[in-house]
Order: sequence, then structure tokens, then C-alpha cells
Amino acid sequence: MSKIAWLIVVLVASLAHADETCMSPYMPKITGQEDYVYVWTVGMDGVGDGSDKLVTVGARPGSPSYGKVVSSVSVGGRHEAHHAGFTDDRRYLWAGGLDTSMIWVFDVASDPAHPKIVKTISTFVQDSGGVVGTHTFFALPGRMLITGLSNAKDLGGKTALVEYANDGGFVRTIWLPDDAPYGYDARVQPRLNRMLTSSFTGKKNYMRDLGELMGDAEAMKAFGNTAVVWDFHARKPLQTLAMPGAPLEIRWALQPRHDWAITGAALTSKLWLVEQAPDGRFTANDIGSVGDQSKGPLLLVDLSLSADDRYLFADTFMDGTCRVFDVSDPHAPKLVTTEKIGSQVNMVSQTWDGKRVYFTSSLLSAWDKKGKDNEQFLAAYGFDGTKLSPLFRLDFVAEKLGRPHIMHFGQDQFYKNQLYAAEGATRTASR
Amino acid sequence: MRRLGAAAVASVLGASLALALEPSDVAYTYGVGTFVPAYAPPAPGTYELPPIRSLADHAVLDEEGDETTLRTLTSGRLAVVAFVYTTCVEAAGCPVSLGVLQRLDHAIADDAELRGAVTLVAASFDPERDTPARMAAARTRHTPAGDWRFVTTRDAAMLEPLLADFGQDAAKLRAADGSWTGLFRHVLKVFLVDRDGRVRNIYSVGFLHAELVLNDLRTVLRAGDAQVRSDVRSDVRSDPVP
Repeated sequence: MSKIAWLIVVLVASLAHADETCMSPYMPKITGQEDYVYVWTVGMDGVGDGSDKLVTVGARPGSPSYGKVVSSVSVGGRHEAHHAGFTDDRRYLWAGGLDTSMIWVFDVASDPAHPKIVKTISTFVQDSGGVVGTHTFFALPGRMLITGLSNAKDLGGKTALVEYANDGGFVRTIWLPDDAPYGYDARVQPRLNRMLTSSFTGKKNYMRDLGELMGDAEAMKAFGNTAVVWDFHARKPLQTLAMPGAPLEIRWALQPRHDWAITGAALTSKLWLVEQAPDGRFTANDIGSVGDQSKGPLLLVDLSLSADDRYLFADTFMDGTCRVFDVSDPHAPKLVTTEKIGSQVNMVSQTWDGKRVYFTSSLLSAWDKKGKDNEQFLAAYGFDGTKLSPLFRLDFVAEKLGRPHIMHFGQDQFYKNQLYAAEGATRTASR
Repeated sequence: MRRLGAAAVASVLGASLALALEPSDVAYTYGVGTFVPAYAPPAPGTYELPPIRSLADHAVLDEEGDETTLRTLTSGRLAVVAFVYTTCVEAAGCPVSLGVLQRLDHAIADDAELRGAVTLVAASFDPERDTPARMAAARTRHTPAGDWRFVTTRDAAMLEPLLADFGQDAAKLRAADGSWTGLFRHVLKVFLVDRDGRVRNIYSVGFLHAELVLNDLRTVLRAGDAQVRSDVRSDVRSDPVP
């Protein structure tokens, strides 16, 4: 692709040394100490009210609420709460249910300790022309890009990208290409005008018991094996990349001139490097496995990349372990440390300053482990570049909450429009 | 990092300077490092820009202080609307918006297809300080080559419906003691509005480039009314599963 010399716009975003890596680049980041972790939680039989809920947990060390539940908002009923994402101004958190395709919009700005539901969208399937399974919520300017996992016609993996305006009005549906119809994540690299989408499986698989599913050879064929590179502005697919084993989370590198992304394939636990070649096209290469697969699949489920593009946190569900890799050379990841988080682990979320890492345990209600291995927790760890050290752990069953899934951060100062620098009259600014 | 130095800026940022702030202290952080686009925008007419939301008409004050409406100012033309305040110093804020509008202004004036078809609007969300006279002075400083208006509002009551309709956030940035720093927290947003008052694209940090906006203007202009739907609200449904 030719690079152009047109009107160079230099937008000086403040330099940072780590990141909230999962977040849209169109959305401002919380750069200091987070006050809250918002945990989108799946309801669980016999646990509390059994409903899905947004749980707010205190995260500021020294605060009386540190490591404790601050508030909880039940949405009523079980919807397979899964992913969520802030709007471009970070004032609202959109959260979805994979089973019912419902969307709840929480106001987190008015009172960051007590999010409130301000809108419910129950027409996603009808609006979108039959897309099922609201997954990724990715902020675009004034809009929300939502990936589907399935469709209403056969509940298989063919699905689409759906856009809504921030006020909840439907904008458009873009079906994935015929040669790569499955969907999962969608992430944009604005500097390159490229979007990457990954691929999972349809509702008739993700709502099915995992053990039963893995024993059904025919059903196991219905997983995505591709990633798609898009012209983001035109919303047009450019390339389909072969990537066997259900590539899930996409993490674009953040540093200037790092024209690559890493994805992880769940079924093979392989890391894939998607890299732009000098001709502008992208290549996808297997850059190694996460963990020992000799005793069965570990299920590589989540990734987090530090803002300096050095550390990659990789969670494998079956062994409940996080492995941290040095990806300074993204072609050759080097294992830095291995930490057993619990009997099962799913999501990993890193703070902007790179010093804290949070984990949750639940993958899907039908895929979580059974019996005593069904630990359900939010766990906070510190990271010093060499090892993970436990900070606090909150038992979501003992607290009568449910199965914790995705995490996002909140901060009082951010929403109260206070200067970071005002704290302690020192200039420890939002950079 | 360069300190705020100009007297004009210091007068506005008294509270901020008392805290020894630098521009980056008050800026939102979106990503890592500087942003330089490294792609050729898609050609006009090769993609669609479906309506994102329909806008009501809103009263504003023009540079003379006369009350008018946005629709009146942009009647029959496409509009590029940027919400700004004239004392903004945020590196990824209003100066970027106004810089892009200036590039658009010059490019549109030199473009036979777009000349006369587009109105640029810089709308203030700081009615306390951005009086019509100050907006007129800002217009003079930018020496428009084409149709570029600088508008404001009388007060918060006049401003708030305008911001809410566009979905533009703007909040006074306060110090810990509650005092106003003289600055606003806001996500930079620029809106492309079609002739029927529908938002067709929204640009913010990492997405606001004059060349991209020019191609979008051409795309909307060439498509005319043929490709757009009559309504964009939630009762609009997409085509069914193919």
C-alpha cells in the first residue's frame, strides 16, 4: 500500500508506558490508579438472585472498599453476560448477553461507584437482520461497533458486525465474507486504517456443555479458522488469513511503526502474529504455543499486551494459568513467568501503568468447570516485569454474585473532571 | 514539554498555572505516542456512509450576535461541524479541529466539486467566554477562503440541547477544591452533516484527517439522496441473514 504525504495531522496523545490494552483507541484512557473494577457477571443457579449483574469492586489501595464489592446492579434474568465496552467518551458502558442478545447501557459517569442502567436494547436481532450473540463492544466516534457470534437462521457461526449510534439507534449491519463467515473480536488500528476480525463458533456450540461438545466431532468442525483484514473506513474485507483453531482476542501493537497484532487460537493454544508486509498486505504466522498441550487442549482464552508492546499476558482456561511472554521480538516470544491463578481462569485486564493485572474465572456458563473446580473469582495481581504477585482475591460465589467475566476500570477523578495533578499538589499528570 | 507561556493563555489558565500544569496534564490520553496516518483513504464513492443520527435544528448566535439556526446557516449544503472553545490548549483537542477545518476550507475553495456545496461550522461550547465578538475575531484570524462560520450560544440553556443532540460531551475541568480550571474535558469530535440534517460521519482523535473528510464529503455529495434511508432510528431493520 502506498503511503501518502497528504496533510499530516499530528495528534499528540500523551506518552504512556503501559495501557488498558483491550480498549478502543478512540476512547480516553484511565492512566492513574483505578478506583473501581466493573465486572460483568453471569448469574449462577443458587447463587444470590441468580441473575446477570454488573458488579463494582473497590480497587484503590488503602480505601475501605479495597477488594470489596461496592455495588451490584442486577439486570434480571440470565442472558449469558459476556463482554462490554465503553462509549467513545467513556461515560457509558454497553454490556451484552450472548444468549438473549440483549444490550444494557450503564451510566458510569454520574456516580462511578454506582453504575445505573439508562437504556436497554432488546431489538438487536431484529435491528441487525438476524445477528445473534452480542460480543465485542468497540467504541467508534459517536458509535458502538458490536460483533455478533451467530445468526438467527441456524444458530451457526455465520455472523456480522453491527453498528449502533451512541443514543441507541441502529446504523448498519455488515456480514462477514462468505469465505470467513465466523466472528468474534474486532479491533481497529486507526493509523493503518485496518480492522482485524477473528472467529469463534455459533450459539448452538457456545451454549452447549463443553465436555459434550468436545466429544461431538461434527460440532467441533463448526469453529472459525480465519481472521479477516478490513479496510476499516470502507468497512470492506481485504484479506482472509488462515488461522486454525478459533482465533479469539486481537491485540494490536500500540507503539508507532509496530504494524502488527497478536491473536490467540483457543483450540490449539497457539499465538499468531499478524503483520503488515512492505506491500501493505498482511501475513499471519504461528509464533508458538502457550503451555503444554500433550494432555489435551488448554484453551487459550485471553491476551493482554502492554503499551510498550513488550509483555504479553496469555491465559489458558483449563490449567487456570497465566503465562507472561516478552514479545519485544514479536516473531519469537520468550516466556518470562508462569502463574497459576486458579482452577480455571479466563479474562486478563492490565492497567495503563502496567503495574496491576486483574483476572476473572468464568469462560461461559456451559463451559466452566464443575464441582470444586468451578472457582469463581476476581483476582488482582501486581506485576514488576518479572513476576506476578497476589494483591487481593474476591470469591464471587461466597459473595453471592455469580460467574465473573469481563473487567473494565473506573476512576472518580476521571468522571468528576478533577485534575490528576491536583492530587497532593504534585504534577503527576494524566500521561 | 513546553510550558504554557502566552499571556493570553495565562489569563485564561490562571487556576491551571497555579497548579504548574503543562498542556499534557489536562489532555485526555487515547493511545501511545504521536499519531501520523499511514494510509491512503478509500476513493470517494467506493463506500457508504449511512446516517448515524438525525439532528433537530438548533438556535445559535452568529458572529454578529444575531440569533439564527444551524439549518439556516447551512441551508442546502453539507456541513462539517466542530465543537470547540477558543481558549482550548489541549494538544489533541480544539486546535486540531480548527487546524483541520482550515485545511478543509482551503481545499474546498480550490475544489470545483465541493466549492459552494459545504459550510464549515466552528461552534463554541463555552458561551461564558466565547461571545459573538470573540467568535468573530476567531473567524478573522482564520481568514476563511469559503463558507466558514463561527457560532456560539447565549447560555447553558441554549447550548445544552445542541450538545446533547450531537452527542458531544463537554464538562468543566475542576481542581480538587471544585474550582474551575478554565478548561473543559471533552472528546474531540467533528461531525459531517448532510443536507437533511443527518450525521453521516463523526471524526475524533485518530480519525480526523482533512483528506478523509474531503473524500467523505464527495461520497455523500455524489450519492445524493439515493443511498440514504428515510430514517435511522431503531425501527430501521437490516436485511435478513444472507
